[in-house]
Amino acid sequence: MKICPNCQTKNREGILFCDECGQPLKDTPSLATREFKRSDAPPQIKVENWGTARISDKSQIIIHVRDVAEPVVVPSSDRMVLGRLDLINGSKPDFDLTPFGAQDKGVSRVHAAFQRSDETLSLIDLGSVNGTHLNGQLLAPNQPRILRDGDEIRLGKLILNIYFM
Amino acid sequence: MDTPQDLYQALGVPPAATPDDIRFAYRALARRLHPDVNQNPGAAAQFRDIAAAHNLLNDPVERQKYDMSRRRIGDNNYFSMRVTTGQRSLMALDEQQVFYLLVELMPERTRSLQQMDSRLNLTLVLDHSTSMRGQRLDRVKAAAHQIIEHLNPEDVFSVVSFSDAAEVIIKAAPLANKPEAKARIMIMQASGGTEIYQGLLAGVTENRRNASRRHVNHIILLTDGRTFADEPQTLELADKAAKEGISISAMGIGDEWNDSFLDEIASRTGGTSEYISSPLGVARFLNDRVRSLGQSYAERVTFSIAPDPDLKIESAFRLMPTPQPLSADADPIPLGTLQNGSAVSVLYQIQVAPQTTLGVRSLVRVEATGDVLREQRLGVKVIQDLSTEIKGGPINDEPPFPILDALNKLTLYRLQEKAESAITRGDHEEATRHLRQLETRLMAAGQPELAAAAGAEAQRVSNTRAFSGEGQKALKYGTRLLLASRILTGNLSEGKEKQP
Repeated sequence: MKICPNCQTKNREGILFCDECGQPLKDTPSLATREFKRSDAPPQIKVENWGTARISDKSQIIIHVRDVAEPVVVPSSDRMVLGRLDLINGSKPDFDLTPFGAQDKGVSRVHAAFQRSDETLSLIDLGSVNGTHLNGQLLAPNQPRILRDGDEIRLGKLILNIYFM
Repeated sequence: MDTPQDLYQALGVPPAATPDDIRFAYRALARRLHPDVNQNPGAAAQFRDIAAAHNLLNDPVERQKYDMSRRRIGDNNYFSMRVTTGQRSLMALDEQQVFYLLVELMPERTRSLQQMDSRLNLTLVLDHSTSMRGQRLDRVKAAAHQIIEHLNPEDVFSVVSFSDAAEVIIKAAPLANKPEAKARIMIMQASGGTEIYQGLLAGVTENRRNASRRHVNHIILLTDGRTFADEPQTLELADKAAKEGISISAMGIGDEWNDSFLDEIASRTGGTSEYISSPLGVARFLNDRVRSLGQSYAERVTFSIAPDPDLKIESAFRLMPTPQPLSADADPIPLGTLQNGSAVSVLYQIQVAPQTTLGVRSLVRVEATGDVLREQRLGVKVIQDLSTEIKGGPINDEPPFPILDALNKLTLYRLQEKAESAITRGDHEEATRHLRQLETRLMAAGQPELAAAAGAEAQRVSNTRAFSGEGQKALKYGTRLLLASRILTGNLSEGKEKQP
């Protein structure tokens, strides 16, 4: 139960804006008013306030492959394909997982992709042979899911965590 | 021809699945969706699908035949569907809680690059009652002329005018002679009352003549008045049209028309309802509508949501292509057109019964279907199954931006709705309170004009116990339009929405 700070109405858990008066409830992150205005300029971004599901074009993605000491930092691009480099078949992913034992762990040459749009980052399985899991759930091919800071991704048997910076 | 459903996708198993895998997957789904355990409207139809898939795949001979035909059909990726919940996990809780689900359907990225005009089967149903006299009717005629001007040779077009009775002005056919069609529209005269059923019946009859799943079958109803006694009949007709693959948009001019009635017609058929406050806006509204129909990637898009037995959909609201309240009990929900380079998206509010068991559990099974026009693939279906983890501690996940942004604006629309229903109940004190709250929230949202309108209505309601027709519609459609005021959903294919 959440009590509205404005009108004291009791709201069920999970409600973000008071059912009675529309007040953002405690813990509901506030959106700046300027975002209501139609504008071609992207809304101004305050990186330090960001929560778990937001990412900007200036943000970087940290990929931490399990059992590997050093996480890898990559800039977030509009689209980044994860897979295995294979010059013979002409497969050249944006992020090559070969150094992390990708072949033994069943990562496909073109396995999955990150796509960034409207301040979110999505993960898409690109029809990989051994599948892509997000937080333990198998993803249907070509169907995107929004990623959050700290999510666990499994490509075949290769497990990695993703963080936003 | 209908594109056959991918049976493996229906059961959520890979094509290489063993008979045991298939049986197991079927049982797991049946436990969630069987009509004996699940009363949710979406569950029954989805259960029929998985039962049929299981029956066929369970038979080795049939399965082999199916596998061969499946290979022949090949790649079936036409849609990209993204389902997102407000939080990554739910809290174990001995009381009810709520979560939000955003479902977005987009053209598959490699297919949406080519632009092509879709073939229209368009019917205009125009009110020419006495109240339309003068500027209103003149503007409607001018707008119809513009539409005629922009039609492609293969588009089918018809026009019905109505007052107490309906008359077919232009019969449904490809327009051979544009000047003649324009002349027919010019001679419309204002007279008589408003009987929407008569007009819509004639419109549906005309549209039906050429309705096919290769066309965008759409009716635009334009009225400025209230219909009497024939509303239930009209809604039945709308349901029938929706079943036949015809969507209806309703536009109200001025303040006299019945907004909840026109909303209902649009919601039931996957159309859009709009408020045109001044006759000057008629041309823009009509042209925008027709232009968006012309860029259809897929038609007759529907969403079906089957929540697990202990979940219940409380509300559904279409955010894109145009904001529109939907009925939470309808299944599947007709959503109309998916435009090239754009998205269809719906935000659901779902209630969860008390949760005591920790661990991963399933939540909802989401299905989307549509007729992909350019590729001539009809009844293409995508399915996603969503699960979550029930955790002990409080959940501090921030909702993803598209959900938060939409909810922030939807809250305003809901306040307006609450004020309206309070007035209907005769509780003007509650209505005034909600309007004051709406005024405050609108100010905070940087919408001084709408805030002023809310303030004025609050004053009026507390004095006269009634809304002004103008203010009520301005608030309703004004707050609704806020939902369209920014690109809300992640458009994965293009990055940015294309301006037509």
